[in-house]
Amino acid sequence: MITFFAWIIQIILVPVLSPLFVGIIRKIKARFQNRKGASIFQPYRDLRKLFGKDEVISKDASWIFKYMPFILFGTTLIVGLSLPMFTTFLKTNLTGDFLVVIYLLAFGTFFLALAGIDAGSAFGGFGSSREMTISALAEGGLIFSMLTLAIVAHSTNLNQIAISISSLPLRSFMPIILSFIGFFIALLAETGRFPFDNPATHLELTMIHEAMILEYSGKRLAVIEWAAANKQLIFLALGANLFFPWGIANSLSITAVFAGIIIFLIKLLILSVSIAVLESGMAKYRFFRLPDLLFTSFIISVIAIGIII
Amino acid sequence: MEKIIKELIPQNANPKNFGNLITYEVSSSDILSVCKDLYFKHKLHLKTITAIDEGHNNYKILYVFGVPKENIFLIPYIKLSNTTEFPSLANDIHETSGYERKIQTFFGLLPQGHVNPRPIILHKNWPEDQFPLRKDFKWNDRPKEASNTYEFTKVEGEGIYEIPVGPVHAGIIEPGHFRFSVAGEEIVLLEPKLGYTHKGTEKLFETLPLEKKIKLSERVSGDSSFSHSLAFCQALESLADVNIPQKAKWLRVIFAELERLANHFGDIGFIMLDTGYSFGGLSGQRLREMIMQWNEMLTGSRFLRGVNTIGGVTKDILPDFKTKLLKDLEKIEIDFTEIMKIANSSSSLLNRLEDTGTLDPRIARDHGVIGVARRAIGVKTDARIDYSYAAYDKIQLEIATEETGDVNARFKVRIKEVYSSIKILVEALEKLVDDEELFSSQNTSLKKDAYAIGIVEGWRGDIVYFIATDRNGNITRVDVRDPSFLNWTVLGYTGKGNVVPDFPLINKSFNLSYSGNDL
Repeated sequence: MITFFAWIIQIILVPVLSPLFVGIIRKIKARFQNRKGASIFQPYRDLRKLFGKDEVISKDASWIFKYMPFILFGTTLIVGLSLPMFTTFLKTNLTGDFLVVIYLLAFGTFFLALAGIDAGSAFGGFGSSREMTISALAEGGLIFSMLTLAIVAHSTNLNQIAISISSLPLRSFMPIILSFIGFFIALLAETGRFPFDNPATHLELTMIHEAMILEYSGKRLAVIEWAAANKQLIFLALGANLFFPWGIANSLSITAVFAGIIIFLIKLLILSVSIAVLESGMAKYRFFRLPDLLFTSFIISVIAIGIII
Repeated sequence: MEKIIKELIPQNANPKNFGNLITYEVSSSDILSVCKDLYFKHKLHLKTITAIDEGHNNYKILYVFGVPKENIFLIPYIKLSNTTEFPSLANDIHETSGYERKIQTFFGLLPQGHVNPRPIILHKNWPEDQFPLRKDFKWNDRPKEASNTYEFTKVEGEGIYEIPVGPVHAGIIEPGHFRFSVAGEEIVLLEPKLGYTHKGTEKLFETLPLEKKIKLSERVSGDSSFSHSLAFCQALESLADVNIPQKAKWLRVIFAELERLANHFGDIGFIMLDTGYSFGGLSGQRLREMIMQWNEMLTGSRFLRGVNTIGGVTKDILPDFKTKLLKDLEKIEIDFTEIMKIANSSSSLLNRLEDTGTLDPRIARDHGVIGVARRAIGVKTDARIDYSYAAYDKIQLEIATEETGDVNARFKVRIKEVYSSIKILVEALEKLVDDEELFSSQNTSLKKDAYAIGIVEGWRGDIVYFIATDRNGNITRVDVRDPSFLNWTVLGYTGKGNVVPDFPLINKSFNLSYSGNDL
C-alpha cells in the first residue's frame, strides 16, 4: 500500500513542485533587487492563465511545432519519475540509468530546437542555433560529472549511485565536490540560467531558450513553460540527491518517507537560493565566453575522474 | 561680434543681424567653399541645414553654423528661384548628408552630386511627388497611397543570415526596424530603418496657434519635454526680444537638470539591465522614479510639461520644497554612489561593457555625432558652455569626457554627468530667491521677417530649434534638430563586428529618440 502511495508521490512530485521553485528563485532575486516581488505561487497562476487562453499557430508550422510541447513535457515526466528524490527503493531499472536520463532530456531539447526553426521566424532560428551550441558543449561536462559518480558507485543506475554515495566516508568526497562544480555549471547552461541565458529578459536578440518558444502562445506555451520548470527541478534534484544523497529514505516506512520529502525540499531550497544569489550578483556573459566556461566544467569533471582512478 | 564678422564672413557679403544670428547670402556656386572654410578652417559646429519655402518657386537653404563659446550663429544661405536643384556638400562635409536628404524628402529640392539621395523618414507608401513642407501642401492633405518597396542593402555570401527586428519590439520602446546581416553571431551589416513615428511635427508648427506650438514642442520627444520646449521658447524669446527674469533662469536650470538626472539614472540602469545585471538595472529605475516623483510634486507633471512659457516659467519652487529637495538630493547622491560601488566590483558587468560597440572617432566626427556619444570619444562639447543659456553662464561646469568610445565610455560619461547635475542643482537651488516674478509680462509680438535659434543641451545632446517669421510676424517655418537625427547615423557602424546579443546593449548606450528623429 505504501509502495503504491510512494509511487503516486514519485510521479506527481516533479510537475507539482516545479513551478514553486521557479517562483522561489524569482522571489529571492526580487528581494536582492530591493523589490517585493510576486508571490512564490505566481508561476501556478501563470500556468492557469495560459491554459485558459486561445492560441495562434502559424499556418506554415508542421506537426513538429504542434506536438513538440507534449514531447518535451513527456520526457520531463518520465525522467522525473526515474530519479531518486525522497526514496531510493523505487528502482526504475528501465529509465533510471543516468545515460538514459541525459539523453531523454537531450531528446526533448532536440525537438525544442526543431520547433524553434519550424515556424520560420528569424528569432526562432538563432535561438535554436544557440541552444544547440550550448547543449552540445554542456553535454561533456554533464556526462563526465555523472560518470565520476558512476565510477565511484560501480553502477550507472541513479538509485544505486545515491545509495553508494551516501555511504561514502567524508574524506573521499573530494572528487564528488569537484564533479559537482562541473555539474553545476552544466546545470546553469541546461536550465537556461545566468551566465548563459537570462530567463527574465524581454530582449529577443539576447534570448536562447525564450527565442525558440517565441511563436508559442496559450495552452502549448503553458505546457512548454511547465516542462521547462520540470527540467529545472530535475536538475536541482540530480544535484541534490546524487552528489549529496543524505536523508533519502532507504526503507519503506512512513516516517522515513516523510523525512525524505522534507530533507529533499530543504536541499532543493538551498540550491535554489544559491542560483538566485549567483544571478543577482553577476551579468550575463558574452556569448563567445560561454564555451570557455562549459569547457571548464568538462575539465573539472575529468580531473575528478582522474583523482578516483 | 564685429571681430567675428570681419574674420569669418567674406568681404563682399552683406551680413544682416538678428540678435546673435548673422545671415548673409552666398551664391550657389560659392556655398561649398564658404561652408568648407567655416567647417574645416574655423572649426565651427554645423548645427542644422534647413530650407524655407518663400512661395512662387522661391526657396532658401540655410546653413547654420555655431561659433562655440561666443554664442553666435553664422547662417550663410543660398536662394533658389525657378529651380529645384542645389549643390550637395555631402562629398566634402559628410555631416550635411542627412540634412540634404531631409530637404529633398520634404521640399523636393534635389541635392546635386549626393551619392545616396534616397528619401528618409517618409516611407515607400508616401507618393514621391508630394512634398509636405512646401507651402502649397496643406497640413490635412491626404495623398493617395503609393506602393513602392524599400530596398535594404543586401549582403551576399555563404552563411549570411538576415534577421529582421521590429518595428514592434518587446518592451515599452518606440518603433523602428533593424535589419541585421549576420555571419554566425557576428554582425556584418546593420541597417536601421526609421520613420514609423512620423507625425508631421514641423508642418504642425506652422499651423497651430502659439500656445499649442509650445505644447507641441514638449511632445517632439517625450523624455526631453523640458529641453525641447526650452529650446523652442528661447528661440521665441529672442524673436520677441523678451527679457527673462533672473529667477526664471535659475528655475530653468533646475528643471533642465532634473530632466537630465531622471534620464541618466534610467539609462545607467537600463545599460546594466541589458547585460542581465538586474540589481543595478532596478536600482537605476528606482532612482529615476524618485526624480520623476519630484518632478510631479514641483510641477504637476512627471515629464515637466506645461512649465516653459515665453518669457519664463509657470511653476515656482517654494522654500520648504527647496530644503526638502536639497535633503533628498543628498540622499540620492549617497544612494547612487553605493549602487555604483557594488556595480563596479562586478567583473562580469565590466566585461560586457568594455570594448562593446566601439565608435570610431573618425566616423563619429564625419557624421557629426553629438552629446553623450561625442563626449565619450574625448571631445569636450556641451551647449551649456558653448552656447550658454538660462543661468548656465553663472555656473562652473566641468565637461565629462571619456576616451574609449565604447559602451563603457558612454556609461561612464553618464555617471559623471549625474554627479555634475546634482552639483548644479544644489548650487541653483541655493541661488533661488523668493520674491521675484516667474515670467516677464512684456508684449510677445514677434519680429517680422526674422530668424532665431534656440539651443539647449538636452540629456542626449544639443537640441536646436530654428524659427523663421514672415512679413506679418507669423511663424512660417520651424526646423527641429533633435540630437538623435545625427546620432542614429552611426549606430550601424558601432554594431558592426559585435555579436547579435550585444546589440540591445549598444543601442541602449545611445538610447536615441525615434520620435525626435522622425518628427
